[in-house]
Amino acid sequence: MTRFVESSITFPYKRSLGPVIGAFMTGLTEQRILGIRSGDQVLVPPLEWDPQTGAELAVDDLVEVGPTGTIESWTWVPDPSEQHPLDHPFAFALVRLDGASTPLLHAVDSGSPTALSVGDRVAPRWRGTREGRINDFVFIPGETPEVEGTDAGPAADPVTMMDYNASITYRNPVPPVSDRLREASRDQRILGQRCPVCGRVYAGGRGYCPIDAVELGEEHDVDLPHSGTITNYTIITPVQYPGQTETEPFARVFVLLDGTDVVLPYQPVIELPVEDVKVGKRVAAAWAASNDDVDEGGTMGGAYGHLIGWIPSGEPDVDDPELVNRIF
Amino acid sequence: MAAGDGPGSERRSERARSAETGATRNGDIAVVGWAQSPMIRRTELSETQLLLRVITDALEPLGLTRADIDFTCLGSCDYITGQAFSFVSNLDAIGAWPPKRDSHVEMDGAWALYEAWLRLQEGDIEIAVVTGSGRSSTGDPALIYPMEMDPFYLAPLGVDPLTFAALQARAVIDAGIADERAMAEVAVRSRRDAIDNPNAQVKGDADVDTLLTGDYVREPLRRHDLPPITDGAAAMVLATGDRARQLRERPAFITGFDHRTECHNPGYRDLADSPSTRIAAAAAGLAGAPVEVAELQAAFTHEEILLRRALGLGDDIAVNRSGGALASNPIMATGLARIGYAADHVFGGGKRALAHSTSGPCLQQNLVCILEGDA
Repeated sequence: MTRFVESSITFPYKRSLGPVIGAFMTGLTEQRILGIRSGDQVLVPPLEWDPQTGAELAVDDLVEVGPTGTIESWTWVPDPSEQHPLDHPFAFALVRLDGASTPLLHAVDSGSPTALSVGDRVAPRWRGTREGRINDFVFIPGETPEVEGTDAGPAADPVTMMDYNASITYRNPVPPVSDRLREASRDQRILGQRCPVCGRVYAGGRGYCPIDAVELGEEHDVDLPHSGTITNYTIITPVQYPGQTETEPFARVFVLLDGTDVVLPYQPVIELPVEDVKVGKRVAAAWAASNDDVDEGGTMGGAYGHLIGWIPSGEPDVDDPELVNRIF
Repeated sequence: MAAGDGPGSERRSERARSAETGATRNGDIAVVGWAQSPMIRRTELSETQLLLRVITDALEPLGLTRADIDFTCLGSCDYITGQAFSFVSNLDAIGAWPPKRDSHVEMDGAWALYEAWLRLQEGDIEIAVVTGSGRSSTGDPALIYPMEMDPFYLAPLGVDPLTFAALQARAVIDAGIADERAMAEVAVRSRRDAIDNPNAQVKGDADVDTLLTGDYVREPLRRHDLPPITDGAAAMVLATGDRARQLRERPAFITGFDHRTECHNPGYRDLADSPSTRIAAAAAGLAGAPVEVAELQAAFTHEEILLRRALGLGDDIAVNRSGGALASNPIMATGLARIGYAADHVFGGGKRALAHSTSGPCLQQNLVCILEGDA
């Protein structure tokens, strides 16, 4: 049966807000909601341009609206997600703030759906500590704005940036060939697959030949040699982005396996200092002990299980100017 | 691309005239075949494997191989796949060696079809393949889609597809265009029509009164107003002029094709209307002659009612005989499948069919495609 793996990806975005949205977000920290004039309309939330005509709008035309308003449409969320602004059932609604021409889509904390109707009046309930984000407030029924907890006051400086982090968990099938490859690596074997049409051999493949667009099965598995030559490489100086565990410069090399056309890309090297990495260097496969746990995810070049990298074999370097072109 | 004296020049000038007069019949580019993967809740295949099979399934009955394809355009979504540049591995499914002309849209395959249709109008190539593919089961749609929304005002609130649909449904109901019963009737008809469709997940006989006793998922939407979650892919083959007629006895010629978008934030729009659909339909020449069938990408029951109205479709026109997106909803392929079902109508002897696709929250962007057989 096909195996599935779960992986979570976090998308950490840092966005600049610009003059209009920045002013709106700054206003939120002051418990003020701003719209922007466009002709005889007041658009909420404000944009730098009129969404209907594309006409540029001026920062000078920002005007305060609300903070109370009227519900124009609503729906009830009985099962909030981790991304929603409230952790208990609530309504999403289109709220026309007093003085606005367009409704603002936002959350209403009304306790129950039976308490809601189109035409109902709402007011903001502000967070005590406001960052200049659209979720610095939610709406509550009634005419009276509230502040939740202690009011930490407006932002000291204009809000110009916004962080947005979403984390999504994905569940993907593992191609059967990946599992066979990983299992074979426990016995210090490097498994590849040979296409029955073109004869090309793929390592770390996904179970098909990308040239002939045919699927490859277990009957196409072949054993690959354990020695090769570095054809190309890069030295990476790690930038400390979220998830980066490396702290010192490290190499990733491309290894052309002996007697084949197979290049293993982005391979780690072992007992080979970055300053000694070079094109033409002869290397041999290095293995983890068969009972060691290995990283399930693999690196950019693919998951090779117990094949943990490549170690200098001690043989003389290969002097071939064409080698450097072999990255595929 | 030079507009020269080659064999395509006559066709080109004919099209130019069509553009000037607003007439839509250029009669030159046709859908000649299509295929879809099994439409299921969760596939064990990767997106690339889905495409490998479905492209082969589309080509083989026509006697074509991948070597015959002059241009490909693939529609898919990285956020759904959970992998940046996921379309790069999808290229493995087209056999891109020797190197091929290829493009990609981060949209439903219906928009990939639009791009291929434009590309074929250059007149220098004859056959194109387009695909739409998505494995919606990979992640939670309620968490994925908010990331594609306005990053300042919508995404941080986690506004999800069901919420958008529910707010629009209430607007449609309040405008007197639909009510919950009419919406349930759409669900009942879709499920009944889907009984004969092997690729429908949701099908069978249902009763309006029974459906209306169900709980709200997002008031005013109940479970039956919602589409299923579907993994699947579709591939379609296009060919020009005589080549199309060689490949299929009765090709489905694309005689009108247009798509229009509205602004993004639903708060700025009248949710009880779909002006972009209406304009696209006019530009595609829908009013020029009656259509017998329409396939609309209405993933929610109220959307079908709203779209029918925007398109001016009377009760005499069969809408979503396939069961529609309420029967199976392979995100990124749902719209392309609509065009496929409409093409099937023409392949089978029909005269004129309408297909529609949509993208964005609350029917933000809408595409209309008219398919016709030879007289």
